[in-house]
Amino acid sequence: MSSSSKSASARPARFKVGERVRVKDSPNLFYSRTQMYVRGVEGTIAMHTYQDLIPEDEAWNRDEAPQEQFYIVRFRQKDLWDGYPFENDTLQTELPDGWLEPVND
Amino acid sequence: MPARSELRDYYRIGAQLAPMQHQQEDWPYEISHGQYVAHMVPPHDVGGQPDTPVIYEEKEEEFWELNTYVTCEVLAWRGVWNAEERRRRGNNDLGQSLYYGFPYYGRWIWAAARMLVDKNHISLTELIEKVAEVRARYEQ
Repeated sequence: MSSSSKSASARPARFKVGERVRVKDSPNLFYSRTQMYVRGVEGTIAMHTYQDLIPEDEAWNRDEAPQEQFYIVRFRQKDLWDGYPFENDTLQTELPDGWLEPVND
Repeated sequence: MPARSELRDYYRIGAQLAPMQHQQEDWPYEISHGQYVAHMVPPHDVGGQPDTPVIYEEKEEEFWELNTYVTCEVLAWRGVWNAEERRRRGNNDLGQSLYYGFPYYGRWIWAAARMLVDKNHISLTELIEKVAEVRARYEQ
């Protein structure tokens, strides 16, 4: 994402690979990179990518904002699309820590 | 039997003949919640939108597209918009019609010009007069 992030601090990663998470069902306001179709949906942490400014800060040049851990999150296509016909298909996308909440099974 | 290239054209024209539903918009006094949510989605969040099949093409960048890319990078080096996300937001802020209606680099150059005006690096009048000047030069 940003090539010259100047953030002073980084929030610690809250999730481990394999953990179940749910994407926050927050409303769109002005700008986001969190796709509408993953909001409120449960998925699994597939990997950690990097720490960086979140898009909501970087897009307004809030370079001093704390960085967050980004993750590749894996979803079942059946959970994303109404009537999706195949059981095993998955979709992976990248999301920052703050957009995720823990799932307590 | 049509040539393969013709066949492709027939399918493409056919796809364009499919009926489309449009929702009339004329600054209504009230809108439904569904319309509000749909309006608030940033234009680049296109995943899940229904669409007709498209042909995958390897397209080489044209000269004006390369120039646009270089212009955007130079503006970044000069500190006009360092953050990549800031530039993406500039694209989104052009709104649905321009975001979808322009070529990829078309919206980039518009976003760059918009940023220069927003940050008072140039005035809108200067930009309009410059575009008119360049247009007149090309028409000669």
